Amino acid sequence: MTVLNIQDLVVVRSRHAPPVLNGISLSLRRGEKVAILGPSGAGKTTLFRAINGFVPIQSGSITVDNISLKDLHGKALRQLRRHVAVVSQRHDLVDRLRVHQNVMAGALGRWSAWRALRFLFWPKAEELAEAEAALRRVGIAHKLRVRTSEISGGEHQRVAVARALVQQPSLLLADEPIASLDPELSDQILSLICSLANESGFALLCSLHQPEYAYKYFDRVVRIEHGVIQSVENNQARTNATANRDAEIIRQAGD
Amino acid sequence: MHWLMNLFTQLRLFFPPDHSWSFIWAERVPLLETVEIAAGAMVFSLSVGLVLALIIGARLPGSRLLYAALVSVRAIPDLTMAILFVMLVGIGPGAGMLAIAVYYGAAMGKVCGDLFVSADPGPVESLASTGTGSFTVAFYGLLPLRLKDLLTYGAYDFECAMRASVIVGAVGAGGIGTEIVGTINNYDYSHTTTLILMLVALIAVFDLCALAVRKYPRLLLLFVIGGIISAWECRPQMFAWSHTLDNLRKMWPPVIPRERIGDLPRLLGETLEIAFGGTALAVLFALPLGAMGARNLAPAWMHFPVRRLFEFLRAIPEVVWGLLLVTMAGIGPASGALALGLHSTGVFGKLYAESIENVQPEPVMALAATGGPRIAIASFGLLPLAFPPMAIHTLFRFEWNIRAATIVGMIGAGGIGGALYNAQQLFFYDQMLAYLLITWALVMLADWANGQLRKRWKVTEGLI
Repeated sequence: MTVLNIQDLVVVRSRHAPPVLNGISLSLRRGEKVAILGPSGAGKTTLFRAINGFVPIQSGSITVDNISLKDLHGKALRQLRRHVAVVSQRHDLVDRLRVHQNVMAGALGRWSAWRALRFLFWPKAEELAEAEAALRRVGIAHKLRVRTSEISGGEHQRVAVARALVQQPSLLLADEPIASLDPELSDQILSLICSLANESGFALLCSLHQPEYAYKYFDRVVRIEHGVIQSVENNQARTNATANRDAEIIRQAGD
Repeated sequence: MHWLMNLFTQLRLFFPPDHSWSFIWAERVPLLETVEIAAGAMVFSLSVGLVLALIIGARLPGSRLLYAALVSVRAIPDLTMAILFVMLVGIGPGAGMLAIAVYYGAAMGKVCGDLFVSADPGPVESLASTGTGSFTVAFYGLLPLRLKDLLTYGAYDFECAMRASVIVGAVGAGGIGTEIVGTINNYDYSHTTTLILMLVALIAVFDLCALAVRKYPRLLLLFVIGGIISAWECRPQMFAWSHTLDNLRKMWPPVIPRERIGDLPRLLGETLEIAFGGTALAVLFALPLGAMGARNLAPAWMHFPVRRLFEFLRAIPEVVWGLLLVTMAGIGPASGALALGLHSTGVFGKLYAESIENVQPEPVMALAATGGPRIAIASFGLLPLAFPPMAIHTLFRFEWNIRAATIVGMIGAGGIGGALYNAQQLFFYDQMLAYLLITWALVMLADWANGQLRKRWKVTEGLI
């Protein structure tokens, strides 16, 4: 089943500048893991923002779960955003909140405003249990009520992933999730989100700078430059063996 | 409830304002007087302040004592200073001009002295090694080094002094403020409204001047000529040394009669009540309003009028709000607290809205991507992130409001300021000095606490 379908997408920033995205077509099925490689300014982040409905579409189409994004506004657009979770470079958690609050921010799309407010001050036991379950899946259940400003860089990314899990998305967009992490942590985070994609069945679209990680973890590798797709490779080198090892790494990190 | 009823019944008496040209034309004289007070005081405070700052910067003998003196003078609120000068040189614009000149001269001297002291010592030392006198060194070494900061602060000082010139009249120091009090005392409320509208217009003109000075600080030099002429126009008319010295002698020693000492805790309590109540009211109003005024949170049809409301609330000084409320709702701390509350709402509203606008965008974008409702995203992202700057602004304003509470006290809100004003009106100058010293100690204490907080939080900005 197709989760994301992009056809001939064109996005422009201003009338005189060349288009940021110029005729992108891309399609992801459930559970599929796709990496996007490209230099800075190639249009990766713009593509992600377009999929989330933050950037107007000039021409072409984007559908998420067979709902077209074009001309969606207000509540309808917000409802579609619930299907798409985002994990990006650092700085996208709210430092002043505690970890459980950041994790349950993933539920804002299905909560009423009133419930969101109440949760900030009086979280219910079952809500905390949900946050803890998500944190357990990313291996840091013990950080449940810690201040977000006091956790490490790798934990920061894990919390962001836990937030994405709470959102129960059909599609996870990971925008350079390892840009500010060292190699060991990078491996941990990538294998974590890939195996979560296998478990939960959401499609994963991940932008990266380093080709070696792309070939190590992803089913397909898309190269993008100047807003145009240069090549799409099916990644045969990835075997079941590496997938098994991913699972092992997660189990260790959880201890 | 009775209090609110009173307020609304009285409010009706203020409308419609008398907008006949004959009245507005007749008021040109006090209006001009206010401008003269401002301009005359500016010349004094900027020039004297600069010389004092250079003395501190050059570390001439006695500069430490001078610095302490300037800090002390600055702790006497400007309206209190005005009442002191009314007593010493007589009713009229001269008293107002001198009060503002002294207060802002001390402020200028202290702040610019700080600037000089923190200046890079290298160039100054090399100048000193040529063997010239230390004041010459300061003049040629420090002044050019800090010219830009000096002009910035000068422009800020200019703005504050102009705003102060409008209110000193409330205690008989001339200008439009005296006219406002006059109409209120005569139950001539339709003219009060006209005068307040004129005052708001004048403040708008002053703000435009200040904006021009901020942009082109050299314009200050242009104002100097007008200032000298104004200072001559405003010179005290009924001045006599013997009278002044006599009044000074009557002030000493400061004394509070035994039967009044029991009142002191109540008076201090009232002043703190005004300051605290006003700040709390303003926080209560400004929290939702500030969010409504933030451009990244509220739609244009909402944030535009809300921002204009803040400007209006800020444009009317605490003292004028105080005069209005005391007239409408009766004398007492409640009117004072509401006066501070209304003015501070304008201040907080703007600062809160800006704090929300300055939040780092990434976390908020990430929350918006979850598809949650606007209010949920604001309460999970914008508000927690905007909280620290909002808290700092609030605490610093509370310190300012302690000062303002003594001022509105003088025009009928009670507390220590009220006691001071009553003592002056009844010619008990020794009691007046006692209350003045208490006010001074209170402001010094708040100032000190504020300084400690700034140090702890490492806040350097915050001249608001």
